[in-house]
Amino acid sequence: MECVVQGIIETQHVEALEILLQGLCGVQRERLRIHEICLKNGPNLGLVASEVRLLCDLEQTEPSWTVRHIGGAMRGAGAEQISVLVRTMVESKVSKNVLRMFYTLGYKLDHELLRVGFSFQFNRGAQITVTVSSVNKMLKLHATDEAVPVTPGIQMVEVTAPASAENYTEVAAAVSSFCEYLAPLLHLSKPGVSTGVVPTAAAAAASLMSDGGGTTL
Amino acid sequence: MEGESVQQQQERLNQAVQQQLNLEQVKTRAISLFKAISRILEDFDAYARTNTTPKWQDILGQYSMVNLELFNIVDDIKKVSKPFLVYPKNVNADNATILPVMLSTKLLPEMETEDTSKRDQLLQGMQNLPIATQIDKLKARLDMIAGACEGAEKVLADTRKAYCFGTRQGPAIAPTLDKGQAAKIQEQENLLRAAVNVGEGLRLPGDQRHITASLPMHLADVFTVNEGPQSFPEGSSNNVYIKNTPLSSNSMGGQNSLLQNSGSQLLGRSAASPNVATNATFDNTAASPIPYANSPRSSTNMMNTPSPQQQTPQQQQQQPTVQQQQQQQRQKMMQLPQQQQQLLAQQQQFRQSAMQGLGQLHGQHQMQFSQQIGHQQFQGRQLTSGHVQHGIGQSQLNQGNQMARISQFSGAANNALFNAAQTTPNTQMIPNISAGISSQPLLPRMQFGLSGNNPQRNHASQMLSDQMFNMGGGNPGGMMSIQQQQQQQQSSQGAFGGLASNAQNLPSGMMTLQNTQQNHPNFSQQRQQNQQ
Repeated sequence: MECVVQGIIETQHVEALEILLQGLCGVQRERLRIHEICLKNGPNLGLVASEVRLLCDLEQTEPSWTVRHIGGAMRGAGAEQISVLVRTMVESKVSKNVLRMFYTLGYKLDHELLRVGFSFQFNRGAQITVTVSSVNKMLKLHATDEAVPVTPGIQMVEVTAPASAENYTEVAAAVSSFCEYLAPLLHLSKPGVSTGVVPTAAAAAASLMSDGGGTTL
Repeated sequence: MEGESVQQQQERLNQAVQQQLNLEQVKTRAISLFKAISRILEDFDAYARTNTTPKWQDILGQYSMVNLELFNIVDDIKKVSKPFLVYPKNVNADNATILPVMLSTKLLPEMETEDTSKRDQLLQGMQNLPIATQIDKLKARLDMIAGACEGAEKVLADTRKAYCFGTRQGPAIAPTLDKGQAAKIQEQENLLRAAVNVGEGLRLPGDQRHITASLPMHLADVFTVNEGPQSFPEGSSNNVYIKNTPLSSNSMGGQNSLLQNSGSQLLGRSAASPNVATNATFDNTAASPIPYANSPRSSTNMMNTPSPQQQTPQQQQQQPTVQQQQQQQRQKMMQLPQQQQQLLAQQQQFRQSAMQGLGQLHGQHQMQFSQQIGHQQFQGRQLTSGHVQHGIGQSQLNQGNQMARISQFSGAANNALFNAAQTTPNTQMIPNISAGISSQPLLPRMQFGLSGNNPQRNHASQMLSDQMFNMGGGNPGGMMSIQQQQQQQQSSQGAFGGLASNAQNLPSGMMTLQNTQQNHPNFSQQRQQNQQ
């Protein structure tokens, strides 16, 4: 299971966000370049539609593959109280012939995208990962070198934390309290709920980018 | 007022004044104030006694409240006390000294000097001027000071906003984006969120799904040159998937093929299950990955679409590995409504002929076949109808293919099941069998209702007859319940006998199946395999 929230930020403020995250997390940022291939099963594989995502980390010298299955989100009155989305998620490292294997099984390519950005991983009540990336699409199949951003002026921010059925409330609380720190720059919400940009973003970004704050007014 | 009141015998105050004074209220307030102060003093006592640190915040709060209350009371009294003056009735030793001070209206000396000095300062250059001018000048000064104060406050507020310090009253007017910009951003946001979460806007139309550009490095190995609609490995009992048969005649280019046929490729593959040569010697079962008890690999016989390559090597070819393909194929077949069976049959016929010994061309034909099948499959998805699916898949059979027959099911329950599940005779199918198949009679496939919950690894509970795979009499092992989400539990040994034990749960959704001929002379009741 994982707790996840998403938000958007204008590209011009990404640097400021990075500075803020650097200060909050205390770890170095890691570059991110992930080719995400989303496969859906064909009708021959059973009645239940299933979707599987293959993530290829292109940042390493040796591309490493991960397979991820995202399940349904928690629903109900309790889920509505929580400000993060709690959903089942299964992830595993796989060898590089995973794509072929899935094709063999009957999965078909549904869509693919390339994420380029950075991420921070730290522990603050829970193991939290913040990813800031621009989402790019490929006009030609698998042409990762020729990817163009889906929305040039806006980047996606995702905060996720793994959870289990026993501790998801604490993890959700940790994630949402962390998100409050980001409030001057962006608002985070459950995936699918749109937030818009934050009006104070520009001012906050300006202050973050200024040298040392405390400059004379 | 006083005069009146004095005249009265009892010195009653004027009604109005009395009301204004509201003595009762003042008394109550004074008393409550007194109580509050004494409470605070008690608290301090307690702190002192127990030597605990007092909570200064609370104490300060209480103090400020008390202070305020006192101030209010005094203020109220002052308003009303103008008409009154102090008239000491009783002068004695206690108050003799203080009375004059309290009664005097003159300021104390220090206060007086302070006052005069301030006044001098203020009226510095204006002593000589007439009073009116003095007043004007003072007014001007006041205005200037007021203006300066306002300016300073404004700057403070602006900075606070900019730095988002927030005020006690909450953020001031938040800077808003103009509507147009906000709308644009909203639109972009929706695009982005949809792209990330659902994949909107990222799907390439079918015709663009060819790899024209060179593949990036991480994908280069995935699609090797020879990959096409994968062929089946020859002979080895594993890794159908890994093998790359050179498809020289394959119309699809290497890399492209995989992608192009991403939809159908598997179909193609599964269609040509290598396991055709299942013959009697399911000895290959030994080779089959037995340990996967739940794997769809049933005993080899179940699989039936012989891959062309395997036609020759026959019996060894059991590819129990191809179970998956077979399953899928079965599933596909099951999904086809009856009408399509004919078409399928024809296809299979074609296939069959093509398959005869066409090892190399296997892929190609498969491709074509699979494409068609694929198409059909998508059409005929619904399994739940009571369609009877005939076993068309004769063509898939290898000559030596020994299909255990449905009739092999032991146990009454199984028989009942079996009978119920019988499909119509394969008269329909027979004509479809091409010459390629020697004498393999067609066994009707039946579609059994699946008993989803078979805890045992026995296939039997899930018997699906698969058209493509002409299993002799329904391979319990090979039958998969596509309908059930339950895993196809098939033992790796084609356990026909196993059906017996699993007859338990037939889902109510069993299809209407008609009876078929169960006895095909050619199908020896061979595989009484490890029935569980």
